Amino acid sequence: MADTGFIPKEKWGAFIEGLAAKAQVWVPCLDGDVVIFKPYSKDQTLCFERPANSPPKGVIFPQSDTLFAFNFSKDPENPQKVMVELEEKLDFPKTIIFGSRPCDAKGFLIYDRPYMQTDTPDPYYKGRREQTAIVTMSCQSTYAGCFCTAVGGGPADKEGSDVLITELDNGYFIEAITDKGKEILQQAAAESGAGHEAEALKKQEAVRARVKDPFCANGKPEISKDLFESDEFWEEELSKCVSCGACTYLCPTCYCFNITDETTFEKGERIRSWDGCMYNHFTLEASGHNPRPTKFQRFKNRVGHKFLFYPEKYNGVIACCGCGRCIRFCPMSVDISEIVSKLQKQTGSASNGK
Amino acid sequence: MSLDKLKQIITDVMKEVDVVIGYKQGFDPLHATPCFITKPEQVDQVIWNPLCVQNLASYLTSLKKKVGVIVKGCDSRTIVQFMQEGLIDRSKVVVIGIPCTGVVSVRKVLEKVKHEPIEEVKFSDDGMVIVKTPSGETKMALSEVAPDKCETCQYPTPVLYDHLAGEPITSTKDPQSVFKDIEEFDKKSLEEKKAYWEKEFDRCIRCYACRNACPMCVCQDSCIAESREPHWVSQKSNLTEKMMFHMIHALHLAGRCVECGECERACPMGIPVNKLKRKINSDMKVLFGYEPGVKPEDKPPMFTFSVEEKNIEEHKL
Amino acid sequence: MSEVGPKELRIVGFLCNWCSYGGADTAGVSRFKQPTDLRIIRVPCSGRVDPLFVVKALLNGADGVLVSGCHPRDCHYSDGNFYARRRLEMLKRLLPFLGIDDKRFHYTWISASEGQRWQQTVTDFTKQIHKLGPLHSGKEAQQ
Repeated sequence: MADTGFIPKEKWGAFIEGLAAKAQVWVPCLDGDVVIFKPYSKDQTLCFERPANSPPKGVIFPQSDTLFAFNFSKDPENPQKVMVELEEKLDFPKTIIFGSRPCDAKGFLIYDRPYMQTDTPDPYYKGRREQTAIVTMSCQSTYAGCFCTAVGGGPADKEGSDVLITELDNGYFIEAITDKGKEILQQAAAESGAGHEAEALKKQEAVRARVKDPFCANGKPEISKDLFESDEFWEEELSKCVSCGACTYLCPTCYCFNITDETTFEKGERIRSWDGCMYNHFTLEASGHNPRPTKFQRFKNRVGHKFLFYPEKYNGVIACCGCGRCIRFCPMSVDISEIVSKLQKQTGSASNGK
Repeated sequence: MSLDKLKQIITDVMKEVDVVIGYKQGFDPLHATPCFITKPEQVDQVIWNPLCVQNLASYLTSLKKKVGVIVKGCDSRTIVQFMQEGLIDRSKVVVIGIPCTGVVSVRKVLEKVKHEPIEEVKFSDDGMVIVKTPSGETKMALSEVAPDKCETCQYPTPVLYDHLAGEPITSTKDPQSVFKDIEEFDKKSLEEKKAYWEKEFDRCIRCYACRNACPMCVCQDSCIAESREPHWVSQKSNLTEKMMFHMIHALHLAGRCVECGECERACPMGIPVNKLKRKINSDMKVLFGYEPGVKPEDKPPMFTFSVEEKNIEEHKL
Repeated sequence: MSEVGPKELRIVGFLCNWCSYGGADTAGVSRFKQPTDLRIIRVPCSGRVDPLFVVKALLNGADGVLVSGCHPRDCHYSDGNFYARRRLEMLKRLLPFLGIDDKRFHYTWISASEGQRWQQTVTDFTKQIHKLGPLHSGKEAQQ
């Protein structure tokens, strides 16, 4: 059984501060009217009331990551000869992501398969991932567009988290899920959680019941390949998309990247930066040919990757955690859950779309 | 304005165009979403209320068909600007104008109801918005939750239309007030202004939502912010590069921005990106007496010149 | 050599090929004394100067930017500098809004024969930039 603990509300601040003394702690902070993950400091306004606008994916998978720096120099004896010095940094500090949501935590599991669970694990991702503990807060409410239960998650889902915290009326109920989590719980000097488990469970269940399930089916959405391959379907659904990349950059499960050398004179860095399939340049080939020149094809790829290709490769796991950010922050209110639901309904279940 | 009248106009316009772009209800009661109507039975989906925030004219330059488009006063300026720059074939666009009494800013409404899930949104005739959440009903004045652009709106009735759904409205807002916030901001010290922009732009994730939602950003896939040759901005995610991107956006819109506010609305990180463009617009007014998107026969000031500039004086060192 | 102080700053100059670059050359050939903070980039015409050139320079390490073209009505391409005048004036008004002192950016017109005037402009502008000091603090400017 998982270890549990309880922290009264007045000790909450000290708990976070205690963690920050031993590791770099990323917490959701209020900046203007948006919430973003930032390294903890006393002058930040923490915000746990709603999920952060952008998920904490950048902590383990930074938006731009310097893989190594390089420096060209000429041999003074032989000017024909150019030498390259490489400088690589692979030591990563101990880090805690504090206050992510169950969907955010689950996102990292989607990354683990291609980045870590292969014959050639990615050292940058793996390095950070292993140094990072994830402390999740269970959701106290639902939020515009979110649908975690439809993709196998839930507002208090433990999968992917090291610690799960549930806010109670007068404190916080803490469950340590992994060994990393147990270590954090020990540091917390928490009271015993035994008496609070029932209240926490009740809170968690109450929210779970309110999460919408747009797929109207138990289990996983089954996508109709015929419809998926139909251009008319995408053109009709996606006319309103403006093909920006907000959905991909805000997605906890989008992990595509680009690698570029940014050089000034003899010095430079090789950078791995986020990329997204919604951009024209993502598939643009050196010849000038682009196999996905239209926004319809690009969005089709986005849905396909999450609900078709990834599950095919990894034992049916859907690469969407249902956080709803892509819906909530889409300038044109494109709703991926509606599109997936239409894609599967046509296979023969009762309703026939709008 | 009655919705039935709007639907009637759409039905009529459908006879002469391939698609009509309007609004329908989005994924929750607080969001409307654009809809592309190609079949008569889709006309019934159409809605019109202060949730209809998107600038539908943005789609015009990428559509090759004959299009009918619903525009609010502010959106109609986009079409005028397109005409000034020769970006659309006016004969292929049927403009359905709606006199607008203001829209909501989704962000401001959510702030008011503390980001609770929205169960129902209603609008009363006396300009109130009633939002229902699990903790009850909140009543707010539309003017309280309207985007900043509505506060100084000079063109509630579209400046150009083929059909008008409703009676024209004249603006009651003081024309002198339009750039008041810009003037106020400009009075701050250089250090304050620098710190302000550094804090705001630091949040940028370079998703390019502001660019893609912008109706006047017509380069789209050929934007220099993404090209390697020329290499204007690198892939590094630092303040310099973020700022450079926003300067590209602002300067390419110099004297072209119709202030529809789509860039700011689209930004998932709440960056006031329209402010830079409005600053330039305020200068365009002072220097050239020009206001973008008002008269189809105007020429954008950066597309032309005068041999003697009345308002530009030579700078001395 | 350094009338403007011992430490050099970075000033980028965009000069049109036909007038101002010639003016700078005249100043050089006539051996007029000039500060050495300025790095000149020759462009075909002041109309070629995208305001973004100036912004890019200022954001990436320059402490000042000078743009100079042919006098109005004297443009080699007849109207390039008229366009430039509008664009650069727009930029000059925008920079303080971003928190960058507009004194860091100057645009002017100098003909190929005005070596003296070129010398005066460079000297005065360099002095002005030195008065303002470096735009970037330490690390950033090294890039």
